[in-house]
Amino acid sequence: MLAYTIRRLLLLVPMGAGMVVVTFGLLLLIPGDPAALMLGQEAPAEAIAALRRSLGLDDPWHLRLGRYFLALVQGDMGMSLFQSQPVATIIWGRLGATVELAVAALLLASAIGISLGVVAAMRQGSWVDTLAMLFAQLGVSMPVYWLALLLMLGFAVHLGWLPAVGRGAPMSEALWAALRGRPEMLVQSLSYLVLPAFALAMNAAAVISRLVRASMLEVLREDFVRTARAKGLRRPRVVVRHALRNALLPVLSVIGLRFGALLGGAVLTESIFAWPGLGQLTIAAISQRDLPLIQGIVLTFAIVFALVNLVVDLLYAAVDPRVRLE
Amino acid sequence: MTTLSRLTGATALALLLGLSGPATAQTSPALTIGMDVDAGTLDPRLARDTTAFRTADLIYSGLVQLTPELQAVPELAESWEAPDATTLVFTLREGLTFSDGSPLTADDVVFTFKSILNPDFAAPMRALYAPIAAVEAVDARTVKFTLAAPYAPVLSYLDIGIVPKALVEAGHDLAANPVGAGPMRLVEWNRGAAIVLEPNPAYWGGAPAVGRLTLQIIANNNARAQALEAGDLDLIQSPLSPQDIARLAADSRFQNTIMPGLGVTYLNFNTRDPLLADPAMRRAFAMLVDQETIVNEIYQGVDAVATGVILPSSWAYSADISQPGFDPEGAAAAFEALGWRDSNGDGIRDRDGRKLAVTLATHTEDPNRVQTIEYLQAVMQQAGVEASVRLTDWPGFSTNYVQKSEHQIALLGWLNIVDPDRMLYGQLTTGGPLNWGGYSNAEVDAALTAGRTALDIPARTEAYRRAAAVLAEEVPYFIVSYQGYQMFAKADLPVKPTASPRGYLRGAIMAPAN
Repeated sequence: MLAYTIRRLLLLVPMGAGMVVVTFGLLLLIPGDPAALMLGQEAPAEAIAALRRSLGLDDPWHLRLGRYFLALVQGDMGMSLFQSQPVATIIWGRLGATVELAVAALLLASAIGISLGVVAAMRQGSWVDTLAMLFAQLGVSMPVYWLALLLMLGFAVHLGWLPAVGRGAPMSEALWAALRGRPEMLVQSLSYLVLPAFALAMNAAAVISRLVRASMLEVLREDFVRTARAKGLRRPRVVVRHALRNALLPVLSVIGLRFGALLGGAVLTESIFAWPGLGQLTIAAISQRDLPLIQGIVLTFAIVFALVNLVVDLLYAAVDPRVRLE
Repeated sequence: MTTLSRLTGATALALLLGLSGPATAQTSPALTIGMDVDAGTLDPRLARDTTAFRTADLIYSGLVQLTPELQAVPELAESWEAPDATTLVFTLREGLTFSDGSPLTADDVVFTFKSILNPDFAAPMRALYAPIAAVEAVDARTVKFTLAAPYAPVLSYLDIGIVPKALVEAGHDLAANPVGAGPMRLVEWNRGAAIVLEPNPAYWGGAPAVGRLTLQIIANNNARAQALEAGDLDLIQSPLSPQDIARLAADSRFQNTIMPGLGVTYLNFNTRDPLLADPAMRRAFAMLVDQETIVNEIYQGVDAVATGVILPSSWAYSADISQPGFDPEGAAAAFEALGWRDSNGDGIRDRDGRKLAVTLATHTEDPNRVQTIEYLQAVMQQAGVEASVRLTDWPGFSTNYVQKSEHQIALLGWLNIVDPDRMLYGQLTTGGPLNWGGYSNAEVDAALTAGRTALDIPARTEAYRRAAAVLAEEVPYFIVSYQGYQMFAKADLPVKPTASPRGYLRGAIMAPAN
């Protein structure tokens, strides 16, 4: 298992390098001159040309790519063109917020998705099942930005229960304060987190609930379930201890893959709820053609995604004794 | 002896803290304003986004301050004079200091402008200051500007913030840790989320009426409007979605200011394009622009129908000058006269076997512009013009298309037109750096040069009206609308905010007396 983990971690290097090359290629293809954007509409052509030269944008692409890699292996992701700060500093400052949102959404999605899926499977064909699957259909088909605006309209504008936009203190600080007897900060942080996390979670919750339902239906028909029932075990115990445990295995790997979609959804959710994370930064960086920053963000997303999937694979092996990692 | 002096020191300190700390915080209210983008920098010389400009205007002060009516009034400079047409001498107020307590002198002013003029510094606004040939400190409170040629608009640009020379030269990073002599100073900048400011006790003009100002960044226009309705924000301003504007305007919880802004939305005709080289052809296209519908339906009446290249709020404006209005029959007649007829009955005009086809372009960030260009396409199609639409994001549209003169008809805008010169000289003089449509007319060149070098308002007015009349006839630019500026604020704010067409915020934090 340790050897497997190390091998997977080493695989991050070629994957990261591949991501950098692909992103670099895409950035070469999309139109838009960062130097001209930096200087604005009113800048004369000579000034733009001079800035392009000083930024090294006129150098041949292989030289620029080589220079980027050379800096990267030294741990330097370059300077942001627009924020006059190192890319690594900017990303580090935003990563926590996005991870917090994505993890909250993932937990919420798993909780909602698994319970709905189980209930629907146990009452297959009943109105509960229909309702749960209607929810799943809605969740899959509703665009995240639209849901986000609806939630904001309902819970912040009309009911006034929750703040519309922004973020409270980071969850780590809030939890620490709560442990030391000051829960107000945690309540405040949670009140900011609820709406964006829910908006982000809906889609994943829907996908998970469908999958759990299908998987449960299959497992509930298995012989060992009948055996367990025949032995006289009560139904809830059979469902939770025997059926669900087996039904969750395929779901686990899907949850890992959904994390990628969650990061993508975070881009939209963050910009609507003014959540100061990487998603919002992505939009700003692309619209400004802040090339080093875009490169850095894509690389970060790729690494986070790969790490989450590694963790899922390890968990999979831990939960299912039939899986061996080599 | 020692004990006594220590005691006195402690008392003085306590008094000081007591007076300047909690007292102001209690009496002055906090204010939260929604902004659409995060600032890229808080160094006023490098500002390029609206939030950077608006925040820098609070943290720094310039030699002059522009009133909402765009008049330059004394700020750090208590007075100035022009001994001749190319010299301006400013006298600074006595005892000015930056927010860190260091004195602000003529050296700081000289340093600020020298760095802006230095090409290696890559200041986005350098072109505006290019006619300044020399800036020197006569003594600690006197600064002399020498211009290469008379340059009337310069005073409107001298509101840019003065930065502390000693600090910058010592390597201090103003972009992240600004130090200025404006009414506010930075408390905290949580990137992507909020910029928090508090009063700068060293400000020469006295304490602002707001004790704490939070500029909350909310990129999405709808979300920003909803945050105001939810009570998270006290004030929001343009850009806003027309649907939100209608809803907020009908809500008695909010006060609403709408005023002409300092921007225009216009069609840039590429006069080097064979199809559009003839002014008669450009006029025919211009007659197909239904400004009333665009302004009232798409912009919901926030913008106003434009009649020419000079803003109605400008001293140079004249109601007698007018570009072609919406006139589909006039356009049809003009196309016919130029030989464009529908000879094969396919609904599209043609001439010498070639179809009358044109590409309309704009950028996707602004849904109103996209709608406008699609509406134009429909009207043109009805008039027998095969109009295609090119939509890309702003970088692809501006830097890779219009600025490379690859367009035919492009819909875009100019902002911050504090002086007519700013939207005309670089843009429409022959070979001007921003003349992407390649327009050239000797009479316009002469008038625009006269407008920038004449020093009294009547002479400048006459020059700009001369240029505007020719431009209305030749339409290298067709001004679709004068942009409106809109502000919504809670009705019960302790300080009644005064709006400024640039969206600057001093009017929201200073008591009206200031």
